[in-house]
Amino acid sequence: MRGVTEGVRRERGRWSPLVAGLVLLLGIAAVTAAQEDDKHTIEPAQARRAVTLIHARCAVCHTTDLIVQQRLPPDRWQVTVEKMMHWGADLSKDEADALLQFVTARYHPGATDHLPSIEEELAMTAPAGGPSPASDGPLVGVSARGAEIFARNCQACHGEGAMGGAGPKLARNKILKNEGAFWETVLHGRGPMPAWGSVLSHQEIADIHAWLASR
Amino acid sequence: MAVTRRALFERVLQGIGVGVVGGGLDRALADSQVETTGQASGPLTVRVSRPFDAETPVREFTSWLTSNERFFVRSHFGPPSAEAIQPETWRLTVKGLVKDELTLSLPELKKFEPVTITAVLQCSGNGRAHHRPKVPGVQWERGAAGNAQWTGVRLRDVLQRAGVKPQGLHVQLQGADRPALPTVPLFTRSIPIAKALHPDTLLAYEMNGRPLPLLHGAPLRVITPGWMAESCMKWLTEITLRADETPGYYMQQAYRIPETSIQPGSGLPGSVMVPVEQMPVKSLIAAPAEGDTLRIGPVTIQGVAWAGESPITKVEVSCDDGKTWAPARLVGEEQPYAWRHWQYLWNARQVGPTAILCRATDAQGTQQPEKSPWNPGGFLWNGWDRLSVTVAA
Repeated sequence: MRGVTEGVRRERGRWSPLVAGLVLLLGIAAVTAAQEDDKHTIEPAQARRAVTLIHARCAVCHTTDLIVQQRLPPDRWQVTVEKMMHWGADLSKDEADALLQFVTARYHPGATDHLPSIEEELAMTAPAGGPSPASDGPLVGVSARGAEIFARNCQACHGEGAMGGAGPKLARNKILKNEGAFWETVLHGRGPMPAWGSVLSHQEIADIHAWLASR
Repeated sequence: MAVTRRALFERVLQGIGVGVVGGGLDRALADSQVETTGQASGPLTVRVSRPFDAETPVREFTSWLTSNERFFVRSHFGPPSAEAIQPETWRLTVKGLVKDELTLSLPELKKFEPVTITAVLQCSGNGRAHHRPKVPGVQWERGAAGNAQWTGVRLRDVLQRAGVKPQGLHVQLQGADRPALPTVPLFTRSIPIAKALHPDTLLAYEMNGRPLPLLHGAPLRVITPGWMAESCMKWLTEITLRADETPGYYMQQAYRIPETSIQPGSGLPGSVMVPVEQMPVKSLIAAPAEGDTLRIGPVTIQGVAWAGESPITKVEVSCDDGKTWAPARLVGEEQPYAWRHWQYLWNARQVGPTAILCRATDAQGTQQPEKSPWNPGGFLWNGWDRLSVTVAA
């Protein structure tokens, strides 16, 4: 914007003040609009990654409606995300940056009152033609992989070694014998537990099941 | 994902049971008596599904007492596990700077003299959504407040039984609720000894004549009449006498406001931040409702007003967006700490849109400001209440 102003000032000798003023106004408007666009647009793939992270890492402690109702400038968002990481939100530096970029672009002070929920964002950004459980045939879970996937995604609520915490104990839980109920719960959520169908692949869920069944 | 309002509501209901095992969820639902059929939104406006934070629609404020199932709900982590508060094993301990540590069961606690007080309970963040620039936090509008009858025993009586040592100047309060992650700080608060020893400060086990509901702190919560609700610890299990204010996030960083006003939008000032305590003078319009179309002719405008520890002496109403004001009539019950109902009969003569405003004044002469001083936590909003309505022929 400074460049535009200086440019107009240099030209002023040859243009009438009225024209110069008009150009200045238009220039500012154009630059501002471009900046706003930059600030508020986010690529679908980026959005997809961010909402997936929000769904998986923030909803451990609170539902995502708390996030969607905020309208904050970037510095307040940054402080908030840092505070949550300090309190245990499981985000790498790179993940935190992606999340921050998204919330800053979506939930800024000028944003409209009613915005889609994180769950709606997930549905809107879902990649077309993803795997469906019906067409995949039976999946074979790998227990060794399941341990780590569990630790990263489930342990915060279900406890170390699946021994329970805010969520129920899963080691030797009878739901493991009822695969239908297990998949239904993981894919679609149940009570306070969020749906994981958009976060974990079916193979990962099968891996978690295999590991839990081995406990 | 097209979530129907019904399905979403059912999720919310289920969300109430977070951390509640076994019969706890059923109990939470029975306690809250949230309608599972009929209106999809139930009697409360949900701000956060988990932990469950919901406000009362202000039309309910035409009742002197706000019913338990319509009372606003706020907590940091949701109710504790059922084991932590089951009646057989639940105990209140009193420790720290006391001569004799106490461990009391609920029947033992109820042997102290019972006291009933009607008092407004209000979340410090009530009205946060009105602050400009906007601040982070649950975006409460008007209904994170209610007036209820609290029955319990005096905190003073319990402290006197334990014998407070002279160095015991702060009373730390801890509930049984726990965060989902151990890395999140516990919600621990303290109140100064003077407020703790005030004869109206209660350990309450009944709300509006019924056992304290789970969502409101069963089996026992603190009531500090006239003070904001973060001092009214729910699911109380531990009282610790200390020489200093409780350390930790929820006492030293959250629920504090600048001692002197600061520039809106500025960060946490280097200047002194003091704990939120007393409720400032405030009034709300309960009827008519925002956006209503009113018939030309007489219209009763009614609402509530309260001012913490001070009585309300005046409520004024403007029906022309603040150009002129007229006094409302204070009606109904008048009790310390409770809210006061008021009415104003407006003869609507001019067709078209207008705004109805109200503002209250307390016995100290403090008048509700047009806008509250901005603060980074968005606490203590008490700006004039304002409704947009249309008068039709």
